[in-house]
Amino acid sequence: MVPLTFFLKVTMRPTGIIALRALPQSKMRTALRYVPPTTLIGAIAYPLFHIGGSRAETVYDRRTFRSTVGEVLGLFDWVTVKTSGKPRLYGALLKINTVYRGKVQSAVTSFPFAVMYGTNDATITAVYIINEEALAESTYRLEDIERAAWGITRLGSRESVVSVESVETGRADVIEVETAETSYAFPFKGLEVSGKGTLQSVVDWRSGIRDYSQARRMVMFYPEGSVRVRGQLRVARVGGEVIVLAP
Amino acid sequence: MFLSVGVRFEANVEALNMVETAGNYSKHRRVPYLVEEDGKLKTVYVPALSGESLAHAYQEHLVREALSLNLPVCDDCRRNEFYKSMNKVHLKKKVNPIPDDPKKIEVAIVQSCVIEDVGGFLYAEKPPVRRSSAFQVSYALPVKSVALFATSEPQLHARHAQMDSSSKKGNASEQMIYYVETGTALYGFTFNLDLNAIGVSAITSEPILNENEIKARREAALKALFRMLSSAQFGAKLSRFFPVGGITEVAVAVTEHPFVVTSPIYDDYIARTERRLKVLEGLGEKYLFTVATGEKVPEEALKEAMDYLKEQGAF
Ligand SMILES: [Zn+2]
Repeated sequence: MVPLTFFLKVTMRPTGIIALRALPQSKMRTALRYVPPTTLIGAIAYPLFHIGGSRAETVYDRRTFRSTVGEVLGLFDWVTVKTSGKPRLYGALLKINTVYRGKVQSAVTSFPFAVMYGTNDATITAVYIINEEALAESTYRLEDIERAAWGITRLGSRESVVSVESVETGRADVIEVETAETSYAFPFKGLEVSGKGTLQSVVDWRSGIRDYSQARRMVMFYPEGSVRVRGQLRVARVGGEVIVLAP
Repeated sequence: MFLSVGVRFEANVEALNMVETAGNYSKHRRVPYLVEEDGKLKTVYVPALSGESLAHAYQEHLVREALSLNLPVCDDCRRNEFYKSMNKVHLKKKVNPIPDDPKKIEVAIVQSCVIEDVGGFLYAEKPPVRRSSAFQVSYALPVKSVALFATSEPQLHARHAQMDSSSKKGNASEQMIYYVETGTALYGFTFNLDLNAIGVSAITSEPILNENEIKARREAALKALFRMLSSAQFGAKLSRFFPVGGITEVAVAVTEHPFVVTSPIYDDYIARTERRLKVLEGLGEKYLFTVATGEKVPEEALKEAMDYLKEQGAF
């Protein structure tokens, strides 16, 4: 029996700038070049909560607090992304002069962005593999998830507004193979890769999104174009494309 | 209800977003653009306006609209200093003593300031309390198809001081030259406003204010956007570098749940947005889409969106 799972393939166009902080909600101005999975989940959680009528962003549990996004983590078996065009980090050193109550204050800051540009229509395509059991137990329906995908408004922080240009849905068949060709990001562990790409350490959302400074991390390989992967692979076929799942 | 607006504006010789001064040179914000020329990709640096700059302008308009509707705005925001209750010093002006309960902190802030209700805040103390902004703004960037025509060019200016020879000391000069880098481009940006967020707790999901006040605040939030676009009062240095040009196109979408118009930096943005809205209709959602591209002026399209929102009971 081949398990068939519901997937969403969401193609987005940036409005120019994508700002991805390596450590959200901190003053550290480091940026990521590619969209991490946590950002993809946060991006779809916002419209999903909107549909469900929930405005809650933070849960306070006595002295600890966490993002409400944690509530929908279980709805996703796997999320990944492919990026067309080569994003570049732009981190100008800025001298900022401000006049505050008659005194001139001067400071130097840097603001690195991962920027997506290109006349050839740079796009970001996210794939969400849905855990249907978890979905059935939640207050959301499959249609809600689909509508939520159309409602993604931004990736990451601040000015990173995106528009969703297409949403493809279908069933993915998950199989085990020894070699695969993919343009989607995958966990880089015990695999042999031929082709170009970038390694990026990201938060492993499957252990929960809590405190980022202590969160478990995984190394993801973000292909440039497509790459050939060899190893003990579990892959999902999503509408004519292949994504490599975590072991 | 959710509003998304794509705006195209022409700005010739503007200094709307300066980022730094090096000596007597003040520099326009620029970002790298990848363009294709003779089959090769090359990077050009084009003038840009940050979303932060546009967001600041929007909140200034919001202060005025809120006050004109007799809605509360805190003292910091009234002065257009958007600290947003970032620490104890600023929060104490709203509630003293500061409660321990994050819910009570949020209520105190939202009740006393429309700007922080709509524009969000981050109280970075223990416990931290955050509220995402109900509005989102992209960068304003040159429209891609004509990005190569976008320029930023330093302009020479001189400042004079009258001095007699006795008061002239050392290197003091009667004339000081300085440069201001000005940009010229056809820009596009996107503005989103989530009306359902206004007046509702980001912790409990419960309304913090009564329905009438929520509706009044939504009205202020919409009017502030329309005022900002209609008056072209955004960006800096408007007193001496007011750009020649103006808004050339707007596309406004109103939906029940979040939806973003395709960025107007792409030439096909209106047609694409329309097609995507049709999909939402297929999913059973009502929407309004209106554009102003020539025969209609931007104000007419914006008013249509206002009327529709009123009809739907948003305010
Ligand atoms: Zn305020």
